[in-house]
Amino acid sequence: MKHGAGGKWYLNAKNYSNELAKELDLERYLTEQWRFFETLYIRKFMGGLVSSSGLGYKLRLPIIGRVLRYEVENMIHSESKNRNPIRADGHFGQVVPLEDAKLIFANLAAEPIIENYCMCRVMQKGVKEVCCFNFGVLSGVIEKLPRFIPKNTKLRLDREEAIARLEKHNRDGKVATIWFQPVPYINAICSCETPQCGGLRLRNDFGLNVVYKAEYAIRLDPDNCQGCKLCVPMCQFGALRYSPSLKRVLVDDTKCFGCGLCRHACKFDALRLVPREEAPGLKGQY
Amino acid sequence: MPRTKITIDYSKCGDGVGIDPRNCGKCLNVCDVAVLLCHETLGVPQDPIDPQTWRVSALWWDLCNRCMKCVEACPQRAITVSW
Repeated sequence: MKHGAGGKWYLNAKNYSNELAKELDLERYLTEQWRFFETLYIRKFMGGLVSSSGLGYKLRLPIIGRVLRYEVENMIHSESKNRNPIRADGHFGQVVPLEDAKLIFANLAAEPIIENYCMCRVMQKGVKEVCCFNFGVLSGVIEKLPRFIPKNTKLRLDREEAIARLEKHNRDGKVATIWFQPVPYINAICSCETPQCGGLRLRNDFGLNVVYKAEYAIRLDPDNCQGCKLCVPMCQFGALRYSPSLKRVLVDDTKCFGCGLCRHACKFDALRLVPREEAPGLKGQY
Repeated sequence: MPRTKITIDYSKCGDGVGIDPRNCGKCLNVCDVAVLLCHETLGVPQDPIDPQTWRVSALWWDLCNRCMKCVEACPQRAITVSW
């Protein structure tokens, strides 16, 4: 099942299985990827020609920018046999609302489930925060790398503990995302924050499809909205704005990723997620 | 608009010569757009399991808004931003 087809690829149990990881020899691949993850953006690719340094500038160059975009999208979505782990080939994901993330932890994620330091935050903000969940074969890989192991929280979690921790992060304002790593193997749920999240950076600043919008979109009930504005700061995508003349919140559908975080702040039942495929104008827009 | 040039003096910070950026991180923290990246230094022999030599690079320099907060925040005065 492909992403963006209106079907939820992340509800396919086969994509989480140890058998799949074994078949694709992913313990070796992921060990290589995670040992060198922080250097992903500074390594040269395309035959040693370019790195991601100043990627936004490079992508705007005429001709070269278009070739670069094509190559990078191919790397991100690569399913080829000779994928390169140190470029994190085949690593992309999708925003999921809390409900779907809970479903994944309850029924799908392969054990052991671990919660480790978010690498993006460490390398881009110098902040150590434990909010990144990994499963299955990847957990075993990360457990061997000291810099990802949290000091004051539990590393291995049972399903209930993982759900409780994720819910806390979600209500705190961090966007849940589910990841192929590499496609079609699924082994991580992150609690992301823009702009330090590597995936959201590439998507929001450079238009690269590393993170897809959720299978949902937000709908605001203008009759219920009391204009308290509490939802506005919950949105990491700039999709919500308070209108002083209408005395209510406005939604920019094109910016909404369907993460559902704004709902946590609403006391008036004015915000609901609807399936993206059933939202006129948003169908097929991921 | 001219390209922004951000340089980091690795004799003052990183690469195992200056202070360890993993113990400081002030420039990373102060940059609202998250231009900078802290990563293990390439090209030096490192323990692949637990690398100890790190540096900061101005990765997303095209997004820099020239606020100069990193320049001011750096206790080593290792960062310069020019255009």
